[in-house]
Amino acid sequence: MLRIDELRKRYGDKIALDGVTLSVGPGEMFGFVGANGAGKSTTMRIVMGVLDADAGEVRWNGRPLDFETRRRFGYMPEERGLYAKMRVAEQLEYFGRLRGLTPAAAKKASDDLLERLGLTERRDSEVDSLSLGNQQRVQLAVALIHDPEMLILDEPFSGLDPIAVDALAGVLAERSAAGVPVIFSSHQLELVERLCDSVGIIAAGRMVAAGTVAELRGRERHKRLRVVVADARPGWADGLPGTIVAKDGDEVILEPADDQEVLRLAAQAGRVEHFGWIEPRLSEIFREAVA
Amino acid sequence: MNNLGPVWLAARREIAVRSRSTGYRVGLGITVLLVVVLVALPSLFDGGDSYRVGVAGAQGDQLATALTAQARPDEELEISVVRHADEAAARAAVTAGEVDAAVVDNAKVISESTLDDDLAVIIDIAHRSVATQENLRSAGLDPGVVERAMRTSELERITLSPTAEDAGLRRLIASAIVVLLFVLLIQACSMVAMGVVEEKGSRIVEILLASVRPWQLLAGKTIGLGVLGLLQIVLIAVVGLVGAQLSGAVPELPDGIYGLVAATILWFLLGYAFYAVMFAGIASLVSRQEELQGVLTPATMLLMVSYFVAFVATADPGGTLTRVLSMVPPFSAMIMPVRSAGVEVPLWESALALGLMVLAVAGMLWLGGRVYRRAVLRTGARVKYAEVLRGR
Repeated sequence: MLRIDELRKRYGDKIALDGVTLSVGPGEMFGFVGANGAGKSTTMRIVMGVLDADAGEVRWNGRPLDFETRRRFGYMPEERGLYAKMRVAEQLEYFGRLRGLTPAAAKKASDDLLERLGLTERRDSEVDSLSLGNQQRVQLAVALIHDPEMLILDEPFSGLDPIAVDALAGVLAERSAAGVPVIFSSHQLELVERLCDSVGIIAAGRMVAAGTVAELRGRERHKRLRVVVADARPGWADGLPGTIVAKDGDEVILEPADDQEVLRLAAQAGRVEHFGWIEPRLSEIFREAVA
Repeated sequence: MNNLGPVWLAARREIAVRSRSTGYRVGLGITVLLVVVLVALPSLFDGGDSYRVGVAGAQGDQLATALTAQARPDEELEISVVRHADEAAARAAVTAGEVDAAVVDNAKVISESTLDDDLAVIIDIAHRSVATQENLRSAGLDPGVVERAMRTSELERITLSPTAEDAGLRRLIASAIVVLLFVLLIQACSMVAMGVVEEKGSRIVEILLASVRPWQLLAGKTIGLGVLGLLQIVLIAVVGLVGAQLSGAVPELPDGIYGLVAATILWFLLGYAFYAVMFAGIASLVSRQEELQGVLTPATMLLMVSYFVAFVATADPGGTLTRVLSMVPPFSAMIMPVRSAGVEVPLWESALALGLMVLAVAGMLWLGGRVYRRAVLRTGARVKYAEVLRGR
């Protein structure tokens, strides 16, 4: 369990983090979303010890996070960091050894990951000869090489084609299923919605919303109802309690003042073919939260 | 993993990656080639001398004896004599290049073009000695008496200052040491600086420092590239020494040359430790290779000044400036080996110079390590010295 508590950080006059609090439990996949400069990378870099916070703390299983614990974390920085002139497998084994693996264990872990990420044929290529997508896979492999207890990934999906996204998502889901907490940032909100158990929305250094996608939807202030009534007389919806958002033939979308009254009036007007809440997309929740 | 584990891993990585880069291999090849050429060059122009002299007509036997008597095989001076029937045959042999010159009737010398100075002296001595003997005999002196009178012993050579004996050679060696130390130091230290920026600029350092301490990373990089530099200097020394002896360019290496080579290598290591950590600390202030040159200028200048002073010292190894600076770090790293190549250095002065340099290296490890540790994770704009040196 990773707990981030009231993190504060400022660069000169600019406040980067203004009391960020969040937690990620075992096996939880946490999607970290927010505009550029909102504080995602700063938060992750503080967790990894790359930056010092001005105030607040990060705890792992109830204890303050230290160097030895961080060594067992997997980290992917926002800007990709690999040695351009090193071969793929050589590089993976090097990072594995640095994380304390024996030569044999590092080799095995490297072989397994390359196989899993479809890079076996490129194992002896120098990194700068790989496509960007493949370099990103290597970067992920570096983060995973020592079978980490926690994964901190800054924009792992940016610049990947759909196939690479699926491969990467598959590996993350597997780790998460094995009980590893995963936190990753992304601007691809559909992807976050699809993969994540919980989501945190950050804006201007503050967490503006956090919870499961369902919880975030529940929090939505303006819930929308979609009603379809066949064979209703025109204008039947005019007197409905609430605000009509859209009307199109038999279909009406509204923010109801009294949903049960809407149902009753709809049933009087004709045959009700559809009556239900519209589930907002994460992107809509996000826009509303950061507005 | 213990504290030193990551250091060796990082060092091994540097060695593995750099040593297979084309740049390093080509550089090493060129350096070795250069050393071979430098060592072989003198022998191409100034090898041992070997003359063939033709003899014809009167007094041929005596001339032949007088000529061959001047050969000095131990000093690589060989003289062989060819007999010709008459002057025409001698001229033909000279024209054909079979002999360098021919003496006819102990009265004239025939050569293709202007006679070689050394050969002229040899022939002249033979001519005078034979002619004198002949004149004395014609004057009625007993041949036995003449021969005894002509017999002289060689001059004994006494050198008052033994080190001055090969001063020229020593100066050459000292100059070679200066150039070698400067080139290798600036090359190895630049590689350290570029490596630091490579890791910082690409954020590899963020991943690395999640698993190793800054000092371990810095030590690994410095040691790895230092090993490559050491390999170069040892290779150059071996090629130079072996080559000099094989090519015969240097008939006899000066006394204590092996000690001098060992001392030069030791000074290289100390100088490298000092400058490499300095370069690394400075390099950690910037995030892009393009900024590196500018920020490194003061450090490069220090190395250059050291180089120029050391070069001046090759001309005056016994001077006061040389003596003082050979003990002041970091100048001592280049000037002490130069001074030792030229003159005998008292033991206490060597010890003092070494002690001071070791202290300077320790100080630089502390300072450079501190700057590196504080600056290497601060990507973006150039980090200011004040920010990393102040506080805590």
